[in-house]
Amino acid sequence: MATTTAAVTLSSDLLSGSLSVTGTTTLMKAGTTADGLNQMRMGRNEIPTGTSFDLLDATAAGIDKANKVYISNESTDTSYYVIIIIDAKVIGRLYGGDWMFLPWNMDDATHDLELTSYVGTNTIEWVKFHENETLTTQGD
Amino acid sequence: MATTATISIASDIMGGFGGISKTMTLTEAGGTGDLRETTGYSRKKLVAATATNLFTMAHSAVTSADTTTGAKVFIKNIGNGATPSVIAKDKGVVVRVSAVEVGKLYGGDWMMIPVSTVDGEDIEVIPETDDAVVLEYVMFYQ
Repeated sequence: MATTTAAVTLSSDLLSGSLSVTGTTTLMKAGTTADGLNQMRMGRNEIPTGTSFDLLDATAAGIDKANKVYISNESTDTSYYVIIIIDAKVIGRLYGGDWMFLPWNMDDATHDLELTSYVGTNTIEWVKFHENETLTTQGD
Repeated sequence: MATTATISIASDIMGGFGGISKTMTLTEAGGTGDLRETTGYSRKKLVAATATNLFTMAHSAVTSADTTTGAKVFIKNIGNGATPSVIAKDKGVVVRVSAVEVGKLYGGDWMMIPVSTVDGEDIEVIPETDDAVVLEYVMFYQ
């Protein structure tokens, strides 16, 4: 079994008592207990302002399959941001220096994960761990 | 008063993948000031496959109802909450933002995403089954 683990450490001194949370998970195929995600895609993109772009296209074959997505905004200017959109719904703003990690579930074939860049050209690094992807037939 | 989050990813799917390690400090939108508000770390046990709000943005505790503010949400599925907690990797909890499905958190999974704190942009969860599942969650905002 392919093994992918994602760990997080969250620490804060915002409260009078410090907060420290950890978590580690092994990324599994949907509905399975011993079958790990076995495919991945990754990339680095420069996202110009003015247009929304599909970072990840939803597909019919991907409906209700497991996907975990990591996105990091590598812009060094913290005023730069991208808006994260799923199925035309704005989720939030990822500013320069920020990262996010989410389970992305396609509940239909239009459930694209999109980005729109603001302030300036943002540089994005991303990785998608997934299952059940087949290559597109030549000529499609 | 800083809040930091560090992610580490390791995988043997692809031989050349060297892993990821990244730390961010949770800051105000577009700036460097620390996020200074939080809902506090919470825990909720769900026992039915019905929708439950984890974060209601119109709640008085979330005062920054503005799209331009910075906010981050962390949610973790810790299993059924028994001692020891039984973590069902094959059972998920759907997470939705303003009724749009983001993804499913299976047993042991966690997520961290930026969110809007605009009223009505609530974050709700729906277990796939009636089996008990416990979520831990926190939001930091400005």
